[in-house]
Amino acid sequence: MTVRALVIDDSRAMRRIVSGTLEGFGYETRQAGHGQEALDVLHEGWVPDLCTIDWNMPVMDGLQFVNAVRANPAWRPVTLMMVTSESEHGQIVRALAAGAHEYVIKPFTADAIRDKLALLGLLPQEVSL
Amino acid sequence: MTLTATRFDWVRQLVHRESAIVLAPGKEYLVEARLLPVARKMGLTDVDQLVDQVRTRPRPDDTRQIVEALTTNETSWFRDGDPFTALTSTVLPALQSARGPAERLQIWSAACSSGQEPYTIAMLLEDAMPHAATRVSITATDLSREMVERTRAGRFTQLEVNRGLPAPMLVRHFQRAGSEWEVSPTLRRMVGARECNLAAPLPRMGPFDVVYLRNVLIYFDLPTKQAILRRVRELMRPDGWLFLGAAETTLGVDDSWSRVVVGRTSVYRPLKGA
Amino acid sequence: MSDLSDAGLRRRAGDLPPATAELVDEATVCEITEQAWLALVGEDEVLVPLPAPLPAETLSSWVEIVGPWTGAVVLTCGRDTALDLTRALLGEHAPQEVEQEDVDDALGELANVVGGNVKAVLPGPSVLGLPEVGTTPPSGREADSVRVAVLWRGSPLTVRVQSVLAERENEVPL
Repeated sequence: MTVRALVIDDSRAMRRIVSGTLEGFGYETRQAGHGQEALDVLHEGWVPDLCTIDWNMPVMDGLQFVNAVRANPAWRPVTLMMVTSESEHGQIVRALAAGAHEYVIKPFTADAIRDKLALLGLLPQEVSL
Repeated sequence: MTLTATRFDWVRQLVHRESAIVLAPGKEYLVEARLLPVARKMGLTDVDQLVDQVRTRPRPDDTRQIVEALTTNETSWFRDGDPFTALTSTVLPALQSARGPAERLQIWSAACSSGQEPYTIAMLLEDAMPHAATRVSITATDLSREMVERTRAGRFTQLEVNRGLPAPMLVRHFQRAGSEWEVSPTLRRMVGARECNLAAPLPRMGPFDVVYLRNVLIYFDLPTKQAILRRVRELMRPDGWLFLGAAETTLGVDDSWSRVVVGRTSVYRPLKGA
Repeated sequence: MSDLSDAGLRRRAGDLPPATAELVDEATVCEITEQAWLALVGEDEVLVPLPAPLPAETLSSWVEIVGPWTGAVVLTCGRDTALDLTRALLGEHAPQEVEQEDVDDALGELANVVGGNVKAVLPGPSVLGLPEVGTTPPSGREADSVRVAVLWRGSPLTVRVQSVLAERENEVPL
C-alpha cells in the first residue's frame, strides 16, 4: 500500500524537509506552494491520504484551504494536518474547528511527525526512530 | 565520521534487547547524533569511545543513558498507545463495576519522568469519567528530583507538546504559559509527584488499582527485578492491574502474576494466593 | 529601567501599546530561538548566548506582527553564516547546489518559526506576515526592542523583537 501526501508550504526548504521526512516513512509525496496550488492538485485527481498544511501562505492560506477541502464531500477521506508556526491556543482551536485533524507546531522534529502519523493511523511502515 | 558496523550493531542489539525498538540499518548518523551528548557528558570525545567503554565495562546507568538517548521515550505522550487504550477500554470499566461510587481510584505512574505519562492518564480519565478529578488520584514517582519537580510544575515546552499529544487534547487540557504550555489546574490536582527509588524499600503508598511500571525493569538484573515486582505487588489491590513496557514481562521473573491480553498489549494481575 | 517607567506613563496617557520588554523577555526569545535551532537545524546545534559583533556583510529575515503589539521579529547574521544555516537546515534534503534563493527561503522560514512563537507570547489576537529577506531590515524603535545575541557554530547571530514607530498619531506627548 502506498500512502500519498501533499506537502503545502510556501517555504521550499520546509517543503523539502517535510517531504523528505514523509518519504523516509514510505510516503509518495507531491508539493504545493500555497492553498490554491494544492487545490489544483486535488482537482487534477491526485487525492492524497494526507495533506500537511502551513498556515501563512500567499494566494490562499492554510485555513482557507482546510475550509475548501472540507466543503467538498469527495475529499472527506483526506486527513488534514496543520504544520505551522502559528502556535496560540486559539489558532489551534480555529484550525480544528475548520476540520483539521491534527496540528504540528513549528519547530518540529521528524519524531514529532512520526508520533502524529502514528496517532492518525497513517504510519505505513514499521518505523522505529 | 560514522560508526563502524560492529559498533553500530552492538548499539542496535542493546536497544532492541532493552526497548524492543528496531534500529534500521542506515541510522548510523542518528546514533551518532543522539549519543554524542551522552559521550561528552561522560568526558569522552566521541561515540566510538562511548561504545567501547560501555561494551567492556557495562554499568546499568550508562546503558540506561544510551537506551534513553536513542529511544527518546521520555518525551512522548501516549507512548506506545496500547497501554492507554487498554486503560479506558477494559481496566476502567472493570474497576468501576468492582468499586463503590464513593471509592477513589488510585493509580501509580512509577518512573514518571517529566510527567507525560501521569498527565496522559489524567487526561484520559478526565475525558472518560464524570468528575474524575474527585474520583481519581494519580501518584507519579521518579528517582530524579528534577523530574519530580518538572512533573509537579506540569509545564512542557513546545517541542514536548508536539510529541504524540493529540491536538484536541492539547487545546482541551493545556493553556499557553509564556513560551511553554501548562496543564490545567484540574489535571494538576489529580497528580501528586514524589521521589521514589524502586530498587529500595518503597514508601507507604496506595493501595493502587492500576500501576504503570514501564521500561524500568529492563535496566535491572534478575534478583532486583524480582524484588521490585514483589514490592510493587504489596502496594497493589488484589484485583489491580499492572502495565509493563513493551519489552518487559513478569514471565520467567516472578510467577505470582497472571497475564491478561487486552487488545495489542498485556496487562498483569496479582495471582490469588500467590 | 527607564523603559518601564516610560511604558507606565504612556499607558496612563492613552491606549498605546506597552513596551516590548514588558511583554516578552530576553530569556523567552532566547529559548524560542534555541528550540527552533535544536528541532530544525540539528539536535546538537546549541546557541551560545555570547554577544559578538556582526560582520560587515549581513543578511536579515523578518516577519511582521500586527495586533495589540505591532512590530517585527528580525533575524540577522553574516552572509556566510546564512549559507551554512541553509545547508544545516536542509541537511540530507539539501539540493546539490544551494542557490541564493534557497538561502533567502531558509532564513525567511527560520524568522517565520521564531516569529510565530514570539507572537504566541505577545498579547493577541494578532496576525503574522509572510517572511521577507534583505540586507536592510525594517527600521524599528531601537529603544523599544528586545535583542538577543548568540553564537551559532562560533558565528554571531541576532534576533530582535522590535516595535515599529507606526502611525502613532494618537500618541499623547509626555
